[in-house]
Amino acid sequence: MIQVENLTKKYGDHVAVNNASFVVEKGEILGFLGPNGAGKSTVMNIITGYISATEGSVKVDGYDILDDPEEVKSRIGYLPELPPLYGDMTVLEYLDFVSEIKGMDKEDRTEDIERAMNLIRIDNVKERLIRNLSKGYRQRVGLAQAILGNPKVLVLDEPTVGLDPKQIIEIRNLIKDLGQDHTVILSSHILPEVSAVCDRVIIIDKGKIVASDTPENLSRRIGDSSKLMLRVAGPEKRVLKLLGDISGVRQVNSQGSREPDTVDVVVEADKDIDIRKPIFNRLSEAGYPLMMMKPIDLTLEDIFLHVTTEEGEVS
Amino acid sequence: MFAVLKKEMKTYFSSLTGYIFMGFFLILSGIFVSLYNLYTGSPDYNKVLSSINFIFLFLVPVLTMRLMSEEQKQKTDQLLLTSPLSIWDIVLGKYFAAVGVFALTLLITCIYPIILSFFGKLAVAKIIGGYIGFFLLGCAFISIGLFVSSKTDNQVISAVVTFGVLLFIWLLDAIQQGLPTGTVSGIIFAGAIVAIITLFVHSATKNRTVSITTAIIGGAIIAIVYFVNQSVYDAFIINFFGWFSLLQRYEGFAMGVLSLSPIIYYITFSFAFLFLTVRGIDKRRWI
Repeated sequence: MIQVENLTKKYGDHVAVNNASFVVEKGEILGFLGPNGAGKSTVMNIITGYISATEGSVKVDGYDILDDPEEVKSRIGYLPELPPLYGDMTVLEYLDFVSEIKGMDKEDRTEDIERAMNLIRIDNVKERLIRNLSKGYRQRVGLAQAILGNPKVLVLDEPTVGLDPKQIIEIRNLIKDLGQDHTVILSSHILPEVSAVCDRVIIIDKGKIVASDTPENLSRRIGDSSKLMLRVAGPEKRVLKLLGDISGVRQVNSQGSREPDTVDVVVEADKDIDIRKPIFNRLSEAGYPLMMMKPIDLTLEDIFLHVTTEEGEVS
Repeated sequence: MFAVLKKEMKTYFSSLTGYIFMGFFLILSGIFVSLYNLYTGSPDYNKVLSSINFIFLFLVPVLTMRLMSEEQKQKTDQLLLTSPLSIWDIVLGKYFAAVGVFALTLLITCIYPIILSFFGKLAVAKIIGGYIGFFLLGCAFISIGLFVSSKTDNQVISAVVTFGVLLFIWLLDAIQQGLPTGTVSGIIFAGAIVAIITLFVHSATKNRTVSITTAIIGGAIIAIVYFVNQSVYDAFIINFFGWFSLLQRYEGFAMGVLSLSPIIYYITFSFAFLFLTVRGIDKRRWI
C-alpha cells in the first residue's frame, strides 16, 4: 500500500531523515517508535505531501506523491502532531469544511460526519467552538477529521498525546478497529502503546531506521533475561549472597537502602525460569521478610540502547 | 476552491475583520460624498472615488493580514496542504474571499450615486468606469497583501509590511519626480538590477557557473541596448518605477476613460502576485 524508498530529508546540513526505506502492506498497522526529534514527524509529513523529500520516493496505492499528489492526498487521512483546528469554528462546521475540501459529495457528507463523530465520541460537543474545547477533545476532533471520507490510509502522529488514561485506551481500541480495513501508520514514543496496537514496529533514531520487526520479535531480540526489583528487610551482604545462589539468577545488584533496615536489590534471571517462588522461599527460610517484589519492564531507553548498540556492533 | 472561499467569507463575518473593513470604508466614503457632492451640489462622483484611494493603505492590510499568516501560525496549513486541494485552490479561494468582501462593500456604496441621481443628471457611464477602475485597483492591492501574508506567520508583521509596500506604491508618483535622468544613471541602475538578479539566482541555485552566466547575459543585454538605442536609458529609472505605479493607471478610469491596457495591467499585476504566492508556498515545502 505504501512504499517508501531511500527517503532522505536535509535541512541545510542537518539530516533529518537518512535513507529510510520501508513498505506498509494493506491492512497493516505500523508503529514508528523513536525519541523526540528522531524524524518520525518528518517522515509522516513527507508521506502526506506536506513537505518534500530531498531524495527518494513515496508511493501510496501505486501513485507517486510527486507525480500525482492529489491522488495520493485523497487516499490519506492525516492527524499531524498538532491537530490542525480552526478555533473560531464549531466542531460541526469544522468537520463539514474538512469533508468539503476532501472533495466529498454533499449527500454523503452529513452521514459521514455523523459516523465519525459517533466513532470518536465527540457527538456531545458538536455545537461548541473548537477554541473552547479541552486538549483531549481537540485531539479527538483532529482524529475525527482524519477518518472523514474513509481514506484507505491513516497517518497518525502521536494520536494519544494529551488524552487521559481512559481515553487513551479508547483511542487505542479504535485504532485497532480501524486497522482492520485501513492501513495505519502511527508514531509514538511510548513503547507499550506501540506494542499494544501495532502489527509491526519501526524504530527510528537520528533519522535512520535502526530496526523493523513485530513487537514480539523485537522484545525477544532485546532480552533473554527478565528483571525483578526486590526490597528485603535484612543485611545487605547476606541477602545478596542468598539471592545469588538461586539457580537461574544471572546477576544481583544492590540499589542501596531506601527504607530503614532494608535493602533494595535488582535480580536479573533467565527469561524462561520463574524465579519468584525460589526467591520467596529462600528469603523466608533465612528469616528476611520480603517487603516488595515487582517486575521491571523494558523501557524505550533499554530497547533503544540495545538496538542502537547492536547495530553499531554489526557495522 | 469554493470550500476555502466559503470558509474565509465566514471567518470575515464571524470575526470583526469584515465589519471593520466595511464600517471604515462606508464611513469614510460617506464623509467624502457629503463633503464633495451633497454640500457643494456637485454631480462629479468620480472625484470621491479618486480621493478615497488612500483608504486602501489602511484597509487592505486589515483584509489580508490574517489570510495566510494565521494558517501558518496555527499549523492549519498542514490540513489544507495535505488535502486533495491544489495550492492554487487555496490561494485563489482566499484571494476571492477578500475580493468578495471588497466587492460587497463597493456594492453598498452604489447607494451614493443613486441618492445623487435624485437631484440631477449623473454621467452614468463615467461612474461605472470609475467603479471598474477602483475595483481593479483594490484587487491589485489585495494580491500584494495576500503575498506578504504568505511570507510570515505573524499577522502584525504582515499588516505593517503590506502597509509599507502600499505606501511606497502610493508615493511612487511623487518619488518619480525626484529620480535622476540621463544615460549614465540609467546604465548604473540597469547594472544594479542585473546584480540583484544575479545574487538572487546565486542564492537559489548555489551554482557559480549559472550565476556567472546570468551576470554575463545581463551585462550583454545592457550593452546591446546601449548600442542599438541609447535613448532607452535616458528615462530608464523613471520608466522602471512607472511599471509599478498602480495609481497612475487609475487616473484614466477616474476621468471616465475605459481603455483595455490598464485593465489588462491590473489583472496581470494581480495574477503575478498570486503566482508568486503559490510559488512561495510550494517552494517552502522543499526547504
